[in-house]
Amino acid sequence: MNAIVSIARRIAREPVAHFLCLGALLFAFAELKGAGEAASSVISVPAGQIDSFVSGFSRTWQRPPTELELKALIDEHIREEIASREAIAMGLDREDTVVRRRLRQKFEFLIEDTGEAVAPTDEQLEAWLDANAAKFETDPQVAFRQVHLGAERRGEALRSDALELLQLLTAAGPAADIEALGDSRMLPQSLPLSQRSDIASAFGNLFAAEIFDAPVGAWSGPISSDFGLHIVFVAERRPGRVPELPEIRELVLREFVADRRRRTLDGAYVELLSRYRIVIEKPAPQAEVGAR
Amino acid sequence: MIHPAALDRSDSKGGNRMAMAGALLTAGLALSSSWVLAHDAGEVTKEKAEKAFSTKAPYSPYAGRNYPMRPLFGDTHLHTAFSMDAGAFGARLNPRDAYRFARGEEVTASSGQPVKLSRPLDFLVVADHSDNMGFFPDLFAGKPELLADPTGRKWYDKGSEAAIEIIVAFSQGTFPKDLMYFPGTRAYRGAWQETIAAAEAYNAPGRFTAFIGYEWTSNTGGNNLHRNVIFRDAGDKAIQVEPFTVLPPYGSDNPVELWKWMDAYEKKTGGSVLAIPHNGNLSNGRMFPMVEAFGKKLDRDYATARAKWERLYEATQTKGDGETHPFLSPNDEFADFERWDKGNLDGSVAKEKAMLEFEYARSGLKTGLKLQQLLGVNPYKFGLAAGSDAHTGLAAMEEENFFGKITPAEPSAERLTETFMANAKTGVKIMDWEVLASGYTAVWAAENTRESIWDAMHRRETYGTTGSRMAVRFFGGWEFDKADARTRSPAATGYGKGVPMGGDLSKAPAGKAPTFLVAALKDPIGANLDRIQIVKGWMDAKGDLHEKVYDVAWSGDRKPGADGKLASVGSTVDVANATWTNTIGAPELIEVWTDPSFDATQSAFYYVRVIEIPTPRWTAYDAKRFGNKPLPGTRMTMTERAYTSPIWYNPQ
Repeated sequence: MNAIVSIARRIAREPVAHFLCLGALLFAFAELKGAGEAASSVISVPAGQIDSFVSGFSRTWQRPPTELELKALIDEHIREEIASREAIAMGLDREDTVVRRRLRQKFEFLIEDTGEAVAPTDEQLEAWLDANAAKFETDPQVAFRQVHLGAERRGEALRSDALELLQLLTAAGPAADIEALGDSRMLPQSLPLSQRSDIASAFGNLFAAEIFDAPVGAWSGPISSDFGLHIVFVAERRPGRVPELPEIRELVLREFVADRRRRTLDGAYVELLSRYRIVIEKPAPQAEVGAR
Repeated sequence: MIHPAALDRSDSKGGNRMAMAGALLTAGLALSSSWVLAHDAGEVTKEKAEKAFSTKAPYSPYAGRNYPMRPLFGDTHLHTAFSMDAGAFGARLNPRDAYRFARGEEVTASSGQPVKLSRPLDFLVVADHSDNMGFFPDLFAGKPELLADPTGRKWYDKGSEAAIEIIVAFSQGTFPKDLMYFPGTRAYRGAWQETIAAAEAYNAPGRFTAFIGYEWTSNTGGNNLHRNVIFRDAGDKAIQVEPFTVLPPYGSDNPVELWKWMDAYEKKTGGSVLAIPHNGNLSNGRMFPMVEAFGKKLDRDYATARAKWERLYEATQTKGDGETHPFLSPNDEFADFERWDKGNLDGSVAKEKAMLEFEYARSGLKTGLKLQQLLGVNPYKFGLAAGSDAHTGLAAMEEENFFGKITPAEPSAERLTETFMANAKTGVKIMDWEVLASGYTAVWAAENTRESIWDAMHRRETYGTTGSRMAVRFFGGWEFDKADARTRSPAATGYGKGVPMGGDLSKAPAGKAPTFLVAALKDPIGANLDRIQIVKGWMDAKGDLHEKVYDVAWSGDRKPGADGKLASVGSTVDVANATWTNTIGAPELIEVWTDPSFDATQSAFYYVRVIEIPTPRWTAYDAKRFGNKPLPGTRMTMTERAYTSPIWYNPQ
């Protein structure tokens, strides 16, 4: 409960709330003065407003309102105006979560918009990409061939068979024709440049992790997987890299704008916070935070 | 589907393979014959030896191949907070969260727990219910339009306690009209726009496909006739329409009206859509009607439209596996598997045996043969798929990583013993433990794009699994022989000499019976395979329907007994510790099978069922991790499986 009180107090110190309170005070002051002609006691319905009532009505009903209907619309507007002024004066808005959330939303939109106005230059994007390079780095890739040996067929001899095959293939060299070799007919014998997740979807994570450590340009192994052992030939290994801006401009722009919006908002709150003194009471023991 | 490139390389090269294998032997390296494929070491000559080390072979074996190399896995049926019921039960994840999770990112589940898939999915369809789509996120965000209504305000203030009240109001028709999210309203449009925007943002051709889709939820009387609608197109076309709903006056509960909507969409935009029905097991005899539907006798128009729009059927998902039922398939010892056969969706009407025939995929396929004869068109010519139907935004269907069907059933110490649904009037009661961690759809698509995957779905080159990611190939033709099961690339041979799953055979050459090349490779991180079976359904000369299950390939040296049945593979499951080992079963099975009792004058279909060795069910992992005691009767082991689309034989 204390937390709520403190939030309520904080809200009471929000600039928007101040603004509203100020309005209410002015209103009250005008009332006290009894100045019937004071600005705050005038509810004016300008011609432009009436036009918009008419066009709104016409859109819905496909005809203009009658005189009586228009009067009803205007009366309704006046009532709404009176009600909202009175309600604000009485502070009803301050106790209402919905109103407060809506105000906060509008307030944040307003602040965020100030950050949106200018499109970033390529230089800005370049710099930002440099600073956030890790976010955009592509995964490393390998291209390889493999010969599979399974325990179902080889049992105890699996490992020694694999080592023997490694010798054979090493002697045969990079061009060895492996098409007829191996125990599996369904596992791909080679993959083009692929990233780890693609390799894992065919051979499992264990294999996908090890293949990146295998030497390039030579037969090596055996590497193990759920299927058994594999003698592999890594033809190419391409490290991850950060793409150039033109390749991923759209993505960088999207992330840049999102980041700027977040910074603008965070900055605004830091700035505004400095104008306040925050008092957070120690919660009572029974209202321990996080207890279930 | 014929892949020309496959034709090119099918046989001439295949014939040389064994010779090359033999050639390695002569390379002067002391080597036992065990390197090469079994059977054919072949005559060893110097000539062959040289060929073995020839550098002329193109490095990339993929060059010139344009058939799919690996199956793409995804969920065709996932709900998020945008679905009315999901939101009511506490789901807070939205379509964007769902796509992020499916492509492998860690997210925080609605219950506050971090969750991540063991490996990314290749595609996802967010299929939120079209009726009242987007209502809950708006209510919880306190959207002014909703709070302006007194009931909306009351529900907002009550928070999640209002969920049941909202669902009751919705199903009883007392939902405030002003709050209803239906096509034509700004709020509804907003929800649909966001559904599309989320798919557009996360669709990454070549890496991850985010389909635009929705579920049309016809549920009159609690009888499940739901369909998921999947768009082939991008947002520019999908945005031109709003989803078809059920509630009158804008929608209808009759699938015929949905097909009209689909037709209108295609005419208006030039785009493409297909529909996948699901949970016939909860339709109480209405999913695959034989005589009439919605008071109208089935006719050729019905059959034509259904066959055109409903290309796939979701054969397994969280609310029960729907392949077949022991009552319908008494000779199939694997038929009694994760069945939900107590009643309809809300349990308001209990099940009667007579309903079953019109509810399950296998009997639906059989009924289709009959209707083809009566109407001239087979309305039930569907391929097989699978989806989760999870209402959590999480396509987490791995047994050891199961995040439940609904948010309250995300992992907790309680879910093993709680009630999923109970109807006091009929006594129909389903416990949470009965929910399946199932399933995913595998698609043989050449590329990971909306177009390529959708086209593969349309030609039914798909199979459904209970969550396993095993690879299953299935081809039918007239010329496959045993040697084709020994080639290095069954796919090249298969496409070269036959049609893949989902295809057709007709007009048997004189004296020939259909032959099938079938191969399965276990999930790279999953369990070994017990067996491959081919399920045949056919109609005899009298018009009677039959089915038979054949064991085609299996692990180890088991021999079928006198009754033709193959012995069980056994089990390595340690329930208490929720572990198993791959010491039984086989990682790979491949075989060519010829129908031993083929009659060229009788229409038939053949589909493949692959069965894994027993593994711990999600309930076993729960019991182990939470240290709690399951209720008596709780199933603690299961055998993951795959069901392929059929290949049909038509005498004409």
